[in-house]
Amino acid sequence: MSFLIRQIALKSSGEEIVRGSRVDGDELTIGRDAACGIHLPDLAVDPRHARVTRIDDQRLLIESIGDQPFDVNGRSVNRRELDIATGAELGFGGHRIQLSRDADTGLPVFSVRRVEAVSESAEDVDLGSAYTLKGLLPGKRMSAWSFAILILVAFLAFPIWSYATYKPLALHKDDRRPAGFHADKAWSSGHLSLAHKNLENDCQACHVKAFVAVRDNACLTCHTQDAHQHIPDAARLVRARGEPHGFAAFQRAVATAFNRPAGRCVDCHTEHEGAGAMPATRQQFCTDCHDGLKTRLTDTKIADAADFGTAHPQFRPTVIVGMNGAKPLLQRAVWSPALREPNGLKFTHAQHLSKVNGVAQMVRRRPGRFASGEALGCQDCHKTDSGGARFKPVVMEEACQSCHSLNFDEVGGTFRSLRHGEPAMVVADLRAFYRGTAPARPANLSGLARRVPGDAALRASAADYARAVRFYPTRADQAIAQVFSKGGMCFDCHTVTRGGTAATDGFAIQPVAQNGRYYNTGWFDHKDHRKTDCVACHTRAPQSNDASDLLVPGMDGPGGCRSCHVGEGGTHLASVKVKDPVDSGCAMCHSYHMDSGAPWQPKGRRDRKRQQDPIHTAVADRPRQWGPASLK
Amino acid sequence: MASVAQGPEKAGKVRRPRTSRDRTSTHEGFLRYRNGRWLKISALLAVVLIALYVFVPLPGQHFGSSWLGYTLGTLGALLILWLTLLGVRKRAITPGRWSLRAWTSAHVYLGLCLIVVGTLHSGFHFGWNVHTLAWALMMLVILSGLFGIWVYATLPSALSDNRYDEEGAITEKQMVEALRSLDRQIHDAAQPLDPQAAALVNSSLEENPFAGSFWNRVTGRYARDATRAAAAELRRMRAYRARTADDPLDKVDALLTRKEAMLGRLRKHLRLKTWLQAWLYVHVPVTFALLAALSAHIVSVFFYW
Repeated sequence: MSFLIRQIALKSSGEEIVRGSRVDGDELTIGRDAACGIHLPDLAVDPRHARVTRIDDQRLLIESIGDQPFDVNGRSVNRRELDIATGAELGFGGHRIQLSRDADTGLPVFSVRRVEAVSESAEDVDLGSAYTLKGLLPGKRMSAWSFAILILVAFLAFPIWSYATYKPLALHKDDRRPAGFHADKAWSSGHLSLAHKNLENDCQACHVKAFVAVRDNACLTCHTQDAHQHIPDAARLVRARGEPHGFAAFQRAVATAFNRPAGRCVDCHTEHEGAGAMPATRQQFCTDCHDGLKTRLTDTKIADAADFGTAHPQFRPTVIVGMNGAKPLLQRAVWSPALREPNGLKFTHAQHLSKVNGVAQMVRRRPGRFASGEALGCQDCHKTDSGGARFKPVVMEEACQSCHSLNFDEVGGTFRSLRHGEPAMVVADLRAFYRGTAPARPANLSGLARRVPGDAALRASAADYARAVRFYPTRADQAIAQVFSKGGMCFDCHTVTRGGTAATDGFAIQPVAQNGRYYNTGWFDHKDHRKTDCVACHTRAPQSNDASDLLVPGMDGPGGCRSCHVGEGGTHLASVKVKDPVDSGCAMCHSYHMDSGAPWQPKGRRDRKRQQDPIHTAVADRPRQWGPASLK
Repeated sequence: MASVAQGPEKAGKVRRPRTSRDRTSTHEGFLRYRNGRWLKISALLAVVLIALYVFVPLPGQHFGSSWLGYTLGTLGALLILWLTLLGVRKRAITPGRWSLRAWTSAHVYLGLCLIVVGTLHSGFHFGWNVHTLAWALMMLVILSGLFGIWVYATLPSALSDNRYDEEGAITEKQMVEALRSLDRQIHDAAQPLDPQAAALVNSSLEENPFAGSFWNRVTGRYARDATRAAAAELRRMRAYRARTADDPLDKVDALLTRKEAMLGRLRKHLRLKTWLQAWLYVHVPVTFALLAALSAHIVSVFFYW
């Protein structure tokens, strides 16, 4: 028995070289050892790996010499019978051995082939990519596309879908998107101001139309009542600001080209600038229009105004100029020291505030009744209203009557007094008083008393009494005339005329009006001036003995506002001496959205110390800026 | 050529023989192109923009939507588009004045200037939104580019150093050839070994020299290296064996030692090349992410105008 061995090698051209050999004997060893019948120079093969023995002419037995297995027809085995006619494929390391029967001799043939390279490095290496990171990292192209598409979907498509979904909610005051995540919030460049906090989740509440800048109608959806139009006509407002020049004109042109018209609410009320309160309004916000307004809006009735310290028009208080029945006729007039306000009263401020006259003496005699024990003070008559900003009208019963008593009779310790404000009732009360009384009857007419003998004295008494009864003033005309005339109770304070009806016996009291607020377009708060003495501003009160003197201070002069208030940047006229200046921007007294209330101010604004800290301030074009407010 | 005589162990700057290359070339890299022309231009631009930001009285605090903000934003967007075009430009082999080096120099310095442009455009208002996302991606791209500049400036010399030895330079192809040659020799030398030793040697041969994760490549550390393990184990085995005149293990050991050295050099080469290439795997994809975020940023601004 012999075995035929065919070692097959490959040329570089792919051609096969076959070297044949023959091994005689009944046994054939396979291994790395050169002495083996089938020598496999393969480190994965044992020196003596397997043995092939003949069973009969048809069959061979192959078994491991050591315990290393080998492959037969793809299965790893240690021992296997092989049929020569059928053949088999044996695998040893990187070698493959084909078993077949030689056609000529009928001997088993082992065709040996090396199928694996000697080493891994001997395998083909693509030098173009072997030294790169190909296969180790996700490809650049692939990740570029993935990232780009991911971002476009998450930050462009998804937000647009959110917007489109809730678009119908726009311009409906109370329609809100459901709470939760909405993709277009990723577009928000910052938090909304505190006032609009509840809109954070509803982008479409303001951004009504895509690619259209926020318009006023979005604001007015909610601000139906409180968006007082400073000038109802937006175009006029833009005109008041004047045509921009130079770079500003270029900016306006660009903004218009990009569909951002000027004069919208959001020009000033910018948003997405952080969750803070609205900033204080800078003076420039106002003066951009009001400084030289007449040159731009020639038909305006408003005087040009700029810095309070230097360029504010004279105040124009609203004063009473007369009466229309019981209603006062009010009119604005330019303030001057000579301005008078006939309010129908007679009152002597000087006399009442004196510390040395009878009035003061009366106060001293009634300790505890008045605020000061020495003399009358302003607050004894003038009481602040509930807000503290202004004063309540002086009420006669509370302020005057404790001295200016209207009492006329005493019944058992109770005083009867005339009714204030009701002249007809005063007349009636007086008539009733005199009608119900008579002269005392002389004792000698009663018949029971002792008397002088003879009738002469009696007759004289009777005649006197008859005359007294005859002339007793039962219609009280004299008393009435006294009350309404000089020296009478009414006449002391009121202007009395003879135009009255019979009910008042022909007398008439001129109607009285008290002015509750002199400055209506500006705001003045007495509360903020509590620490200041009243006469520091109402300087003429201690000298005035005429009730029609206008004691309200104006802008200039002694007690005028400019005595303390200077412009926003601390400016004041050279002619004014200011001892303790208070920087006053327009917004201290004026409000853009004009109503009767106080102008809006950021919290803590009234605190002088914080006033000097850097705060948000606003100007016309872009109203918010960090840093101290200053006049540029 | 004094350096030729010097051995590789000599200290100092001249460490290797420079037989095949003149290292004192007149090469002007993109960083020093025209005496730093683009460095100067970019620095001037940055200074001007910072001065504008600081000194121009803007009415608002929100720079993204002030005139300066819009200007900076437009400038930044155009810069980003132009910087991205380097990828197109470098693939177009064109002659003429617009040299790729000039373009790269401008790319680097204007790219750095973009930090100033983009950040001033933000007005330092950052939040969790698409606008800050675009800014962050831009910064990521620029910082990865900065890293790229750093590796381009420092690693090529290390790469050359690694390729040079006493026999001169070795190419990437030659590295593989050298390994193949060593493997063949090891294979032949290991034929007489017993199965246990042969299996160890075979494990070294079976190992793909380019195998290893990205992390292996970056660090240059291959903890379970088969060649090193085989050499160590064989030495351990030999230590307990009697010495014979021509122990095949001697030869195998010597060959494995040489293979280890070669493999070490190949892997250092791979590590350096990885560092030279890896930043682009951030720089390029994030650039496209940035372009997407930039588009979303611009569209969103005009959409919710």
